[in-house]
Amino acid sequence: MSEVFTKSMARNIYYGGSLFFVFLFLALTFDTMKTLPQQDNRAAITPQVALGKRVWEENNCIGCHTLLGEGAYFAPELGNVYKRFGNSTEAIKAFIRSRPANGIPGRRSMPQFNLSEEELEGVAQFLKYTSEIKTQNWPPNIQG
Amino acid sequence: MKYQSQKVARLYFMAAIGLFTGQILFGLILGLQYVIGDFLFPAVPFNVARMVHTNLLIVWLLFGFMGAAYYLVPEEAERELFSPKLAVALFWIFLVAGALTILGYLLVPYSGLARLTGNDLLPTMGREFLEQPTITKLGIVVVALGFLYNIGMTILSGRKTVINMVLLTGLVGLAVLFLFAFYNPDNLVKDKYYWWWVVHLWVEGVWELILGSILAFVLVKVTGVDREVIEKWLYVIIAMTLITGIIGTGHHYYWIGTPGYWQWLGSVFSALEPIPFFMMTVFAFNMINKRRLNHPNKAAVLWAEGTAVMAFLGAGVWGFMHTLAPVNYYTHGTQITAAHGHMAFYGAYAMIVLTIISYAWPILRGEKAANQRAQVLEMWSFWLMTVSMVFITLFLTGAGVLQTWLQRYTDDPLPFMVVQEKIAPFYWMREAAGVVFLIGLLVYLYAFVARGKPAEDATAA
Amino acid sequence: MHAITHPLPARQLKGDLAVWILILSELLVFGLFFLGYAVAARRHPALFEAGQATLDTGAATLNTLALLAASAVVVMAIERLERQRTREAGRLLALAALLGSLFLVNKALELHHHLALGITLSTSLFHMFYLGLVSFHFMHVLAGVIVLSWVARRCLRDTPPELNTVWSAGAYWHMVDLVWVVLFPLVYLL
Repeated sequence: MSEVFTKSMARNIYYGGSLFFVFLFLALTFDTMKTLPQQDNRAAITPQVALGKRVWEENNCIGCHTLLGEGAYFAPELGNVYKRFGNSTEAIKAFIRSRPANGIPGRRSMPQFNLSEEELEGVAQFLKYTSEIKTQNWPPNIQG
Repeated sequence: MKYQSQKVARLYFMAAIGLFTGQILFGLILGLQYVIGDFLFPAVPFNVARMVHTNLLIVWLLFGFMGAAYYLVPEEAERELFSPKLAVALFWIFLVAGALTILGYLLVPYSGLARLTGNDLLPTMGREFLEQPTITKLGIVVVALGFLYNIGMTILSGRKTVINMVLLTGLVGLAVLFLFAFYNPDNLVKDKYYWWWVVHLWVEGVWELILGSILAFVLVKVTGVDREVIEKWLYVIIAMTLITGIIGTGHHYYWIGTPGYWQWLGSVFSALEPIPFFMMTVFAFNMINKRRLNHPNKAAVLWAEGTAVMAFLGAGVWGFMHTLAPVNYYTHGTQITAAHGHMAFYGAYAMIVLTIISYAWPILRGEKAANQRAQVLEMWSFWLMTVSMVFITLFLTGAGVLQTWLQRYTDDPLPFMVVQEKIAPFYWMREAAGVVFLIGLLVYLYAFVARGKPAEDATAA
Repeated sequence: MHAITHPLPARQLKGDLAVWILILSELLVFGLFFLGYAVAARRHPALFEAGQATLDTGAATLNTLALLAASAVVVMAIERLERQRTREAGRLLALAALLGSLFLVNKALELHHHLALGITLSTSLFHMFYLGLVSFHFMHVLAGVIVLSWVARRCLRDTPPELNTVWSAGAYWHMVDLVWVVLFPLVYLL
């Protein structure tokens, strides 16, 4: 069977198809943004949580950990660490505070970041806020 | 080489290969840290080494893309580059900015770097792959704009081929989407939602346009097949890429606080994402089978074939493996993702840059192809690197399957670190495969030395 | 077994290969969504039955007729065009586009009715499928109407596009129609 296959039709499909799906994606984004308030725990974003997110970023925590499954896979998931640590911000703070500066021989160890009390509280509150985002029941269990 | 200004590509290719080497060295450090946890601690903690590894990857690929553009755009447009001087100036700006950033990662604690570069004014740091200080990001924007101006002026005032137009849309998309790197709200869900507009829409969107156009260019050159045929397939393949890939972004919106319908949308569309990669494989081999000439640069043909196969395996097959929401529920954020990431980046993007370098480098030196010995060495390096990457991927997949089982799926899930110790044998084997990759890279570098002085008769070409 | 030695008469694929590739992939997308719908409806029969009860089957039936009629008119138009009766083909294509627009208006009213009730993609699994499938299909009809109108205009001005292009447009429209013919009973009736 012979066929006709023209460059102009291929081009139309490329531009038309892309435009079509860009519009669809924008429409879905619009709907997502309208739905997010019921999902994203935004009421819990206090200045303290915002500070915590900054501390999280400025110490490159994502370089070892995952947060809601995204990041590096070298250290435990932290999206649910607040719950894993028995719903305790104090436990999170104590853990970060107690990291040995020179590591643990032969083992992976979190660096000592020398955070101030304010920063520690911020990070802990940020992780608490994160653990209360509605994530379609992910992770499957408490181990993250 | 048809136009003098194409020569500027050499600088970019050299930088790309240099940074590639750095990336691999840091990859080996990371692999070792997976099994010897305190290796180089606290001097180079894992997060710093990883940041260097991934950022070097992005930067060397960008150097490669820009070099490719400077090489192929004038030839396609049938005119000299709009401004070779601008291209050289931007090269040095980008290289110095990139080097300073990497040195900053290595020499200053990250929080200190944040303070030093005024992250408070416009906080954009500390998100995966976008760790660069805000000022570096601004530098990237400036370089991208200058680059687009240079390339755009060349294309628009010259012959407008499909390859050039697709490359241009890809590069414009790359620059525009990067702007979302500056949007970093306190709301973590929104942060993640738009972060993917840079990351996913780059690698599963506009970068594939760049990949497609570079591959099409090399195929036109090495097969002698009618350009019309190659160009219309290019259109169809990238149309399929965008049709599946744009809504395919949804496979990142399963578990980050976004609405549940993304599980359906993401699953359906990303299940189709392998199709354009498969088409690309069939297309590349078809064109090579129908070739009208036997190009003396056998190594370049091998790289082109390798790209088509490995992109399909890494991005297509390994992507599909964990893209369906019910599967991803268990595999999300495990070594499965790492396995996919390694083979997809190598197969699609590292290899396409190595393809265009392989094709263009001899021509930039005034010869059609490297001598026999250099080509054999290059092909050895191809097999060493590619096969070891397959093994890296297989070992990481093994680690990931076991991790998913022990940590996520069993009735009595184990803690992360306990699981990590159980899967350590896979990490050791991955590191061994990584060493073979490095050997392959050294052979690749040596192949450049083995080329010797450019052939006398061709210097005037 | 002996191989068949005499060559088959060369047949030509009507329409552009690029469009056929597009049509196949669209059918694949819709097919996967239909499959997903069927699985979900089986797992939550009560939810889906309750959801279907809120849909206006009458309006949807009217829409089905409009699309089927449009498809038939497209076939007639192409037949006219093949016999160089360009203006006539143009008028028929305009009629097809009009029928398509009728579908769009009717569907827009239906969607508006549901949205005004506060129903969104996140209301329930049924509503996700209903709204998702219907609006995704709606966008396809819209694209089809635009294409048909463009071809109609060219024909009415006596500058028709190449026959191959018209075949392609027709094939796309039939695909849109075919999808609806599956979507309608699946979502509204079964």
